[in-house]
Amino acid sequence: MSDAAERWARNPLYVLELPISATRAEIERAGQKWLAMLELDLAAARLYATPLGPRARTPELVREAMAELREPDKRALHELWWLAPEDGPAPAPDDDGSPPDADAALGLDALTAAGWRRGA
Amino acid sequence: MLGAMSERPVYVGIDLGTTNSAVAVFDGETTQVIRNAQGATLTPSVVRIDAKGRVSVGAPARRWLERDADNTKSEFKRLMGTARALSFPASGQSATPPELAAKVLASLRQDVADQLGIMPVTAVISVPALFELPQSAATAEAAKLAGFERVELLQEPIASALAAGWSAREGDGRWLVYDLGGGTFDASLLETHEGFLRVVGHDGDNFLGGRDFDWAVVDWAIAEIAREHGVAIRRDEPAHARAVSLLKHAAEEAKVALSRTDEVVLSFAGPLELPGQVAIEPELAIDRATLERCIAPLVERTLDVSRRLLRSHDTEPEQLARIVFVGGPTVTPLLRQRVAEALHAPIAEGLDPMTLVAQGAAIYAATSALDARPAGPLVRRGVRLWLQFPAVSSDLTPHVVGRALAGDNTALPRRVALARDDGGWHSGWLELDGERAFATMVELLPRRANAFAISADDGAGNDVPVDPRSITIVQGLTINDPPLSRTIGVALASDRVQAYFERGTPLPARRSFTHTTIESVAKGSSDSVLKIPIVQGEHDHAHLCRLVGTLEIPGSAIARSLPAGSDVELTIELDRGGRLAARALVPTLDQSFEHVAQLLVPAADPEVLAASLGTLRRRVDDLRAEAFRRGMPQLISALERAESDLGEIARDLGAAQGGNDDAGQRARRNLLEVDAALDDLEQAKQWPELEQRAVRTMTWAGNQVAQLGTEREQALFEEIAGGVDRARRDRDVRELQRQLRLASQLGETAWYRDPDTWPMLFEDAASHLDSATDLPKAQALVREGKDARTRNDLAALRRVTEKLWKLLPHDPEARRQGFDSGVR
Repeated sequence: MSDAAERWARNPLYVLELPISATRAEIERAGQKWLAMLELDLAAARLYATPLGPRARTPELVREAMAELREPDKRALHELWWLAPEDGPAPAPDDDGSPPDADAALGLDALTAAGWRRGA
Repeated sequence: MLGAMSERPVYVGIDLGTTNSAVAVFDGETTQVIRNAQGATLTPSVVRIDAKGRVSVGAPARRWLERDADNTKSEFKRLMGTARALSFPASGQSATPPELAAKVLASLRQDVADQLGIMPVTAVISVPALFELPQSAATAEAAKLAGFERVELLQEPIASALAAGWSAREGDGRWLVYDLGGGTFDASLLETHEGFLRVVGHDGDNFLGGRDFDWAVVDWAIAEIAREHGVAIRRDEPAHARAVSLLKHAAEEAKVALSRTDEVVLSFAGPLELPGQVAIEPELAIDRATLERCIAPLVERTLDVSRRLLRSHDTEPEQLARIVFVGGPTVTPLLRQRVAEALHAPIAEGLDPMTLVAQGAAIYAATSALDARPAGPLVRRGVRLWLQFPAVSSDLTPHVVGRALAGDNTALPRRVALARDDGGWHSGWLELDGERAFATMVELLPRRANAFAISADDGAGNDVPVDPRSITIVQGLTINDPPLSRTIGVALASDRVQAYFERGTPLPARRSFTHTTIESVAKGSSDSVLKIPIVQGEHDHAHLCRLVGTLEIPGSAIARSLPAGSDVELTIELDRGGRLAARALVPTLDQSFEHVAQLLVPAADPEVLAASLGTLRRRVDDLRAEAFRRGMPQLISALERAESDLGEIARDLGAAQGGNDDAGQRARRNLLEVDAALDDLEQAKQWPELEQRAVRTMTWAGNQVAQLGTEREQALFEEIAGGVDRARRDRDVRELQRQLRLASQLGETAWYRDPDTWPMLFEDAASHLDSATDLPKAQALVREGKDARTRNDLAALRRVTEKLWKLLPHDPEARRQGFDSGVR
């Protein structure tokens, strides 16, 4: 799976499990709830759904997601790239467990091109 | 008001200032500035060690500042993060800047203990918005030396805004924090929205501060004395130093007096004596109008910075909800009035500019749940509930999440309930799930501390004692994650910077990137060291940023020799206080390295600084000549500013050559600023060429994306095109370059899908085979590439070509500028 696809799977709206219509207060409330649940090591907080399958949720990811959505410009970009997890493609994984055509299908190289970077 | 402090949390905030420091406490509803043993809210940041080794701090030490300067130190905050130790010859002792800062912090800590009966163990300490990493690290070290067990650092403008916002009753809006210190001016634009505080942007002027206002009055007085007495006093003449000092002192007093009265006579502590001339005692009266004329150009400079900040964030001055003044010089009514008039914005009244930062730091301590009370003896009063909730919440309905921890032979609860202490809200019974956990939203009353009682039962109505039995959540303005003030990245051998954390990244933060080594490291060789320089700054070129640390992989520590072209996975972490940790993992060695060397502000060697100053002066001359030749009045006026800044630096350099390290450090920082400013001017000069490049890039990238790009790439290209238009409209060189980089990358992404692209790039890389850093490896790759081309396997050809690129040589000069980085 490419960096860009992984970056897409880290869309803050997926991480926080919020719709694109979420208000600022809802973003902060959801972030606070996930951080609290992760701190208590609750199973319900460990994974989140994406069109590319479930991903691990970490406190860093939650904080980053909250910060991204606080910035109107960045939020607009995330809204542009958001697809409801249940509407997204579910390509069959190849040998290394990643959907080989997902990048091309979604134009994800463009994310790398736009300066998106891989986080830890 | 604060009372019965031991029963409620105590949050401590400290403003560790260059000239004065202050401490405040917050109890969840109100802040209180703590008075020191002298009854003052401000403690001078001065430390004296006498001949018997006795230490005095604050006002008692300041009294010795002029009489016994050798054994009395002030302004050591400016030296934080340097390796310099300051000596106290009378006692034969020496102390580092963090050790001296620790004495001030310990004194403030004792003041809290004296007043509240609690010795605080945690605190939030404010630092300037543009503090470098080593300076932050030194501040944290000082706090530890002062006895604090845990400390968080907070940028001063955020502290001011938080304190101002806490007491404000108005709704959402943008604010300007106008912070004029003794030697620097900082402007910050902040925004409150739905109870949340956000830092929108920051700007400043390192060459402008309250002391310039005093000098403006001194210059006026010198001119008056020359006119009336025919005596020429010169500020740069060492023999006139005493007379100038008397004038400066009188000017400071007059400036303060004119805040309350319309006219004042300058009062000198003694006659003005000049060598070879009769001593004079001039009687000089100055009125408000004159003072205003004196300081008007300086105020105008602060307004220019403020307007620039607003413009860069699409904010009209009229849109400002209020201006918050911070710093001693902003007490001057003339200044406040002029700034408010010029920006057409209301002043936030009723705030003390001298202690606002400490108050904000205390409020922030609450948002970070940093209760300063020492932990008492552990007494369990029931089943332990592990609870997570915000100590301060902007949200009126935050979550409380909890989990019951299994104890010794204690029956676990099946249900818990929370009830607000005013009886206005109750959660009802909350069933614990399979992990013995619950999550619920609670309702808060606005702008107050909300206490909730917690009860639990076994599901059949029998009470199960739990611990804690109550929690408190304060409702009010919050800022959750402090933003990073300067971009942090790694200098590459190309002199470029790989940014890890952009300015504004919320802390804590962690990121990893994979780099490639550009040279081999021989096992066991002490001379062979791979350097990974970590830099801080907003520039694409490493040499314009500040080196804040170097992670080293020495030959003496590796299990076997490391060839050029090896991968290094670097992870950089920053904690909430901006402290840095780095780890390099080398997969081929299966070893990791964590030692970050030189986390110190570089030494300010006066000879090196003088050489840099000379270079920059020549650069200004060359640019000016070209500006005249090409008829560019805007550039000429910008260069006048750079030249005046260089004049200031020359003065600091003179002081540095006389042994003043503080001035040397200021000169070092400011030389970098002017260097970067001249870079900007050079680029601005190239604006017509840049515009042509914009047309070329957008045409090429647009074609590639239209023919080979996906729908999403095409949508993204439209976004970038909008950004390019905005940057061209605002003549913003940096932004235009950034957008063009994005457009190029997007174009390349599409171009790489063209079946002819990779064969062509492979041929080009293979043609440089002779100069590869690892020839056998490169030859093998070329063979592999030719096979892939024959098979028409474009994916393999791409992989081979990218590996070949990594083996191509670097430019030695660029590498030197990139702090000898060993990675790309």
